[in-house]
Amino acid sequence: MVRHDVVVVGAGLAGMRAAIEASRYGADVGVVSKLHPTRSHSGAAEGGINAALGNAGEDDPQKHTFFTVKGSDYLGDQDAIAVMCEEGPGDIYELEHMGAIFSRTDDGRIAQRPFGAGGAPRTCYAADITGHVLLHVLYEQLVKSGVTVYEEWFALDLVTDGERCVGVTAWDLVRGGVQGVEASAVIMATGGLGRMYRGTTNAYACTGDGMSMAWRAGVPLKDMEFMQFHPTTLKSNGVLITEGARGEGGYLRNSEGDRFMFNYAPNAGELASRDVVSRSEQTEIDEGRGVDGCVLLDLTHLGAKRINERLHGSRELAMDYAGVDPIEEPIPVRPGSHYHMGGIDTDVWGHTLMPGLYAAGECACVSVHGANRLGGNSLLETVVFGRRTGAAAAQDVRRNGSGGVFSPSAAAIAERSIGRMLDKNDGERPHVLRQELADAMYDNAGIFRSAEGLEACKAKVEELRERYDRGVVVQDKGRDFNTDLIQAIELGSMLEMADCLVTGAIARTESRGAHSRLDYPERDDEAWLRHTLAFYDEGQVRLDYRPVTITEYEPAVRSY
Amino acid sequence: MQVTLKIERYNPESDESRQETFSVDVVEEATLLDVLDVIKDEVDGSLTYRKSCRMAVCGSCGMRMDGDAVLACKTPMRPLVEAGEVPVISPMGNLPVLKDLVVDMEPFWAKFRAIKPYLDDGGEEPPVKEWRVQQEELDRVMTEALCIQCGCCVSECNSMEADPDFLGPAALAKAARFVNDVRDRGGKSRLEIYNGPHGVWDCTRCYFCNQRCPKGVHPRDAIAKVGAAIYQEGMHSDGGARHAKVFVKSTHQTGYLLETHLVPETVGPVNAIKEIPFALRLARAGKVPNPLKPHKAKKLDEVRKLHKLIESQEQATLEAANAGPTRPPADPAQAKESE
Repeated sequence: MVRHDVVVVGAGLAGMRAAIEASRYGADVGVVSKLHPTRSHSGAAEGGINAALGNAGEDDPQKHTFFTVKGSDYLGDQDAIAVMCEEGPGDIYELEHMGAIFSRTDDGRIAQRPFGAGGAPRTCYAADITGHVLLHVLYEQLVKSGVTVYEEWFALDLVTDGERCVGVTAWDLVRGGVQGVEASAVIMATGGLGRMYRGTTNAYACTGDGMSMAWRAGVPLKDMEFMQFHPTTLKSNGVLITEGARGEGGYLRNSEGDRFMFNYAPNAGELASRDVVSRSEQTEIDEGRGVDGCVLLDLTHLGAKRINERLHGSRELAMDYAGVDPIEEPIPVRPGSHYHMGGIDTDVWGHTLMPGLYAAGECACVSVHGANRLGGNSLLETVVFGRRTGAAAAQDVRRNGSGGVFSPSAAAIAERSIGRMLDKNDGERPHVLRQELADAMYDNAGIFRSAEGLEACKAKVEELRERYDRGVVVQDKGRDFNTDLIQAIELGSMLEMADCLVTGAIARTESRGAHSRLDYPERDDEAWLRHTLAFYDEGQVRLDYRPVTITEYEPAVRSY
Repeated sequence: MQVTLKIERYNPESDESRQETFSVDVVEEATLLDVLDVIKDEVDGSLTYRKSCRMAVCGSCGMRMDGDAVLACKTPMRPLVEAGEVPVISPMGNLPVLKDLVVDMEPFWAKFRAIKPYLDDGGEEPPVKEWRVQQEELDRVMTEALCIQCGCCVSECNSMEADPDFLGPAALAKAARFVNDVRDRGGKSRLEIYNGPHGVWDCTRCYFCNQRCPKGVHPRDAIAKVGAAIYQEGMHSDGGARHAKVFVKSTHQTGYLLETHLVPETVGPVNAIKEIPFALRLARAGKVPNPLKPHKAKKLDEVRKLHKLIESQEQATLEAANAGPTRPPADPAQAKESE
């Protein structure tokens, strides 16, 4: 049993930024993460981080706000978006002062390039390894801050005293055994859930654990049906090729060599928003103008020098995982599940509806991305709302004291449940269910959706949840470093979150942003300009709704 | 395609080690990590290894294939299958094994923490906006910034095998990333950490780290950069620095390394006496050249030309570095804003 004022679960950009800030406010902070911090998936972000610095042309936070609102298909809360866009530049400068190596303009300022649907060259970048650079900078600062990190501790459940969150239980992966982690404030920063889809850019670790912990504890999840498909992922393993490749001038071509995007987005072309580009690509592929299930990302005209300077990492990925050198020939790409807009419902300070529980980053939904996130806004969200949430949690603890009582039985209950999993000897292996889930989600809850497909998907998810509840077989019976056990638990989280996603998608009978219904092709503001809330109800998903916050920008037709 | 692997297994709970052979069917483009995943899913769920991003950026899946450190996710299997090879997969070296292919990374991170792994701003108030820094100045640390801390270099480090306390290639590459960052104010106090015992001078220059790094960080080159910075600061008194000096002097005089001069000039005459028994053992084994008749290179002038060339190149680099701002100049626009 350990105790801290503030416990952060997850150690990617949002989690580390929250921990650093809470520590600055004088809180005793502990970080619980199933991975060492630098293994977090934030490090895979390539293209950049948005902020209206105006270093590459006229720009201001209002413009950033407007294009983010428009990109969200008006589902983003405009007050939250304004906070992010106004505070963004300050956070970028702070990262730079911490030592982040941003690429530079000729006069030594932070360079910026255009990203899809941004309306200005606003994306700051470190070549095409921006996430990697930022993740390591924040880890450096975390080490400097002296915060305690419980590496390779897998958080299992939130512990509540009936009203407020008082900590978590966690499985110590290295030594085996359940640990109680008591806290006056718990910040969830556990990232996304893309692994429930076949063909994803996400790491193996992106299994929605934190969201499912919050959901089971009764905290609502918001806008879960909105899953972004990134337009340029490699066919073999779903690895991402950055939007920066198009930002630097790359073309998308179909099998006939045409730059087809101008048929769908006459003005923005390849730099339309991600939902638009992904749908266009899929349409080209479905109508027979694809190349072996892909379209072609053509960088050859950029030349070796520019590719090596600005897109070195992407070139390496294309060569390693597609066997293609983008200097010589186009890269076959297709849309793949990438970023989950929904998550734990929070306000602009990371508060959830449960006292003592906070969330930030991809696992949270503030909401700044609404129905579709703009490229470069997710890294920004992690640092802005990571910082705010860390500050809020530390200040709340100082004001309100330690809070509730952590029942010692919590760890014993978790230990028994894991014991049952380890004792199970006959039944299905988790990977069988995992594969069936990934196929069902990709086929029926993907880029294009319909009532028929979604209902079939829901039935499949329910069936898989039943099979999971009957017990899956963990072959590794040991306690030390049991990754077989962890993968089985992660599967449980994914199944629950898939249920929330699909249930929300069935109910939303309109097309908005990344949620594209073939049977309801239009956006319907009258009925659906509202957030979906998914509650836990005896294991099932119960939906409720909440209005969208509109301050300045009335919903308008969205075209690029 | 059919892939066969021999995997070194270790079970900490029974303290048993064994090698096990697995043969599975995988897709053509499968990496080593994909093969391990198929084995874990379909054959033996207890097979243990770390993984996460599967795109060579998280640094989780370092392990050895036929004795060389690799990232499993960056290692395509088809060439091996076509060559009919059955590789042996084992955990990384120089770190304690926890289970199967998983090593304890704590000693690795302890060294990371020991090198002051963060920008030292010298307590100065930063500007309102960003530091003005030229791209070329940042390019000097970009190679080291590619490091993903996977440990492949450490796994293969010969010096660390002899001296487990050696800071090692990963931590010292991280050090170079700060030493050459124009925004860093760490100066001498930072360099003292690297100049001390188990620091840069413990590197034997075997270049295995450069060879095995999956990200092109070139840790040995980074160590050389840190050594150069230590020299430029005039910190010559360390044994390692003196050792390097003897190399330069001796090759300048004779074109060869005079082994008999190396020890006394590095450790001093008194300490050199202590090494006499060792020298005698070497002599008996025929490993000591005649000290009275030092060998001399035939084309000594060629060697000296090389010396001159290197000196002039270093001078040019130094001048270029000194010509650039050592600290980003104040931005007049920012100064106005802060007023």
